[in-house]
Amino acid sequence: MTEQTVRPSGARVRTPPRRRRDVPPWVVNSLKLLGLLVVLVWCLFPFLWMAMTSLRTGSVAITEPNIFRGPFDFGNYEQVVELGFHFSLRNSLVVASVTTLICIPVASLAGYALARLPLAGKFAILALTLVATLFPPVALVNPLYQLYLELDDLTGISLLNSYAGMVIPYVALTLPLAIFILTTFFSGIPKELEESAKVDGATPFQAFWRVVAPLAAPGVGAAAILTFVYATNEFLLAFSFAPRDLNVQTVPVFIGTFERVGYENPIGQIMAASVLVSAPLIAFALILQKRIVSGLTSGAVKG
Amino acid sequence: MVLGLALATACGEPPGEDTEGSEGEGESADLAEDPQFIWAVTGADRQIHEDVARLWNENNPDQEVDIFFLAPTADEQRQAMFQDLQSQAGEFDVLGLDVIWTGEFADFGYVESLEDMRSEVEDVSLEGAIDSAQWQQELFALPYSSNGAFLYYRTDLIDEPPTTWDELYETGMEAAEEEDISAFVGQGDQYEGFVVSYLEKYWSAGGELFDEAQENSTFLEGDAAETALDFMIEGQESGFFAEGYDSMVEDDARALFQAGEAVYMRNWPYAIPLLEGEEGEESEVAGDFAVAPLPTFTGEGTTSALGGLNNAVSSLSENQDLAREFVLWAATDPEAQQILLDHSLPPTMLDLYDEADDPDFEMLGDILADAQARPPVPGYNSLSLEIQENLHPAFLGQEDPEAALEAVNDAAENALEQE
Amino acid sequence: MVSTAPVRAPARKPADTGLGERAMGRIFLAPSFAFMAVIALFPVFYAIGKSLYDIRGLRQEFIGFDNYARALTDSGFFNAVGNTFVFTVSSVSLEFVIGMVFALIMHQVFVGRGLTRAVILVPWVVPTAVAAQVWRYMFDHNPGFVNAVLGADINWLRDPAWSMVGIISADVWKTAPFVALLLLAGLQTIPEDYYEAAKVDGANALQRFWGITLPLLRPSIVVALLFRTVDALRMFDFAYVFAGHSNSLATLSVYAQRFLVAEPQLGYANALSTVTFVIVMLVGLAFISRMGRHMVGDVAPRKEKG
Repeated sequence: MTEQTVRPSGARVRTPPRRRRDVPPWVVNSLKLLGLLVVLVWCLFPFLWMAMTSLRTGSVAITEPNIFRGPFDFGNYEQVVELGFHFSLRNSLVVASVTTLICIPVASLAGYALARLPLAGKFAILALTLVATLFPPVALVNPLYQLYLELDDLTGISLLNSYAGMVIPYVALTLPLAIFILTTFFSGIPKELEESAKVDGATPFQAFWRVVAPLAAPGVGAAAILTFVYATNEFLLAFSFAPRDLNVQTVPVFIGTFERVGYENPIGQIMAASVLVSAPLIAFALILQKRIVSGLTSGAVKG
Repeated sequence: MVLGLALATACGEPPGEDTEGSEGEGESADLAEDPQFIWAVTGADRQIHEDVARLWNENNPDQEVDIFFLAPTADEQRQAMFQDLQSQAGEFDVLGLDVIWTGEFADFGYVESLEDMRSEVEDVSLEGAIDSAQWQQELFALPYSSNGAFLYYRTDLIDEPPTTWDELYETGMEAAEEEDISAFVGQGDQYEGFVVSYLEKYWSAGGELFDEAQENSTFLEGDAAETALDFMIEGQESGFFAEGYDSMVEDDARALFQAGEAVYMRNWPYAIPLLEGEEGEESEVAGDFAVAPLPTFTGEGTTSALGGLNNAVSSLSENQDLAREFVLWAATDPEAQQILLDHSLPPTMLDLYDEADDPDFEMLGDILADAQARPPVPGYNSLSLEIQENLHPAFLGQEDPEAALEAVNDAAENALEQE
Repeated sequence: MVSTAPVRAPARKPADTGLGERAMGRIFLAPSFAFMAVIALFPVFYAIGKSLYDIRGLRQEFIGFDNYARALTDSGFFNAVGNTFVFTVSSVSLEFVIGMVFALIMHQVFVGRGLTRAVILVPWVVPTAVAAQVWRYMFDHNPGFVNAVLGADINWLRDPAWSMVGIISADVWKTAPFVALLLLAGLQTIPEDYYEAAKVDGANALQRFWGITLPLLRPSIVVALLFRTVDALRMFDFAYVFAGHSNSLATLSVYAQRFLVAEPQLGYANALSTVTFVIVMLVGLAFISRMGRHMVGDVAPRKEKG
């Protein structure tokens, strides 16, 4: 991810007299194992709570802290599916995929330009890129809504209650991080490769497309995953622009505006919906962990 | 990346659903082919509102209504309505307003005055509901649904429901000690429910927040404010309020009472069918509980805070005549109001309570007749927040009660200010 | 990504490579800027404009900078600044430390590394709406799961100090993996032979970490801290789900949202948003300027294989 390979000054690495380790290796290993266990428990216990709560029925979930006390059944899941949760799951996946498919090519171009091409004020451009999206998200809603209405008036294109109404702002808001990551990736790819391609008669575009782009693929993958996760996470804009129609409503909105009867607390159903959305994402993390991690890292090592 | 997309498309079609089939599915209400106007109303209890709208459409096939269901939570409802109004989109014709929003929407010029329809609802609707629909003696909405509080008590532990708070305290403590359960559960978390809990005690000690013209705060006149707060502080110190009362909301209280963990509970009527074990819920107290009006400090009458919804006409509506007609119909048509009653959502029409054969509902009618509207002043939200932020710590003994009451009085003055 | 894709014949001969590259640079940047200009810059100007008005419902009146003056005398605003600052400093530093530990673990070679990596990433993948609900209910006094686990009796959602601990825990849980990912990326670019050399010199693990890992990781650290800090300064979800608009947890975003939705005074709300924007921007720019110019490729990198 970084191209900085300046060797640390020798002065910093002092040379103390070599000490023999007195700690036997099994102690070290069990300490490591213990640390690992702590990490796993810390990361996973909320999921255990979520899964158990989603299976508990009736009032027991709000009176009894012990999550292993039943009764248990799948009633909450049935109710959530009845409410149309699977539609919002589909919508989230579509919105996130389209956002990613637009954001990444656009960010790749910008990242490459910033890392490689001779442009004036590149540093200022990078800074501007970041600053542009620092406006508090809560305050974006009102002006964007106004903008959508104007657009509707002028052109008859309504972005409200549509995938596009979410995808467009998501692309804009995910661009800075994607550009930052891709810029560092592209700068990490040796310039000589392109130079030699150009010597062989390639145009700048060919040099980019044929030589640089394939090398940056892992970095592109990493940026894509960050974008995808952002788009599946976003609530405020999705709620404001596509609040109720199950044809476009995304998962965070579904969960955030869960229907209630009277004052009843639908915690079991909320958690059932949470499990249903987490399961594919966890599977995603499991399957892709190699790709995520190597994607983020191998770009700079390559070459 | 490629894998991710493959996964996305694989999950994109939920099993058992083809894309064509899903078109329009789960769409709001889909009540009308060619709706003439839109009713924006909370998505809580949506079945009831849908049935009401269907009835209108049957009776008025040329002037059909469609519903825009807002989120069930207050902030999200307001966001959607303000979005429509502030941007002048004017998509909504009828606005279902929480009883505490009247003053604010009126002050903002978002809703039309309905003062000329007052005679149509006077003596037809609950008095408290009409109070909640007016701001500075002008009517800006018409009543639609209501809500009031019951004192739930255990018939196996308490013979006669208490009529004063002190009696409630003593009998509750006694029974709780014998049974080793809690004396009282209710809304003690720092939220709107706490404000309601406090105000009910305040009103029942004879307090009034504002003068008649809604121009001055009278919060500290008399000793009602202090009496109410002292009772709550005392209750907290002595363990009259259940453990965890300071973070309890409606359904926490309901669940504890249902598990047989409390002698008394202050709650809305929605808990009755659950406590009776009707909705597939197990209940420890089925057959062993009853409801009564909340007590007062004097033993006279009862005072409940009034909840519910009023319908208003958007000032941006292009169909105001029709919207007004609908609003009036929803308030005064016996059949429409009966739909609410059938679903255990308290209606606002007085007649229905007299005719009800359910004694609990008859009692609710009496409670609602005496229920107090939280004053729907324009600054209600900040007033409520100030009450929460000052009285809750005082209630827990973390802050000086007198200073807290002074702060609330200032906030009440500010809530009336109009610029 | 498909390197064998046919390449369109260039319209012009690449005789003047410099010019071609310059034009290409502008073309490459254009789409990004088009998106950001419409979606990101328009609201900024819109909000600044609105912040000069007193807006009550459908009436609005120009009042100049009065809304900003009001913020300067509003104790609620300073309370929000304080909360935001406490939250940002605590959560970002914890996320950095924990993220670093995670990254070092993920970087190790051991049996079950794949599974561990996946597990560490999982909290970050879960939607914030879900995470906020889960943590809120785990902390809730009724039934009191966290209290039962810790054997404590704390009102996590209402006690001002403890509720801050609550949202910081939730945020650290959710975003430490994000920091870990970015740091791990940096870790893997450090050639192994540096460590070998240091070992030969007799440096212990801690010395190697201070002497090699941290300095070489600096660019990744700065990017991670930058994006975490600007996000934390605008944090909304956890604070709102935990405590609504209560002053005890109100961050700048929550406070602005209160005047956007709960007590709509759009002029004041937009002034608050603008102030928040300026604060976040200054912090962001401070980070960027410290990051140096190496990111944009002014420094030609040398490559070494590990």
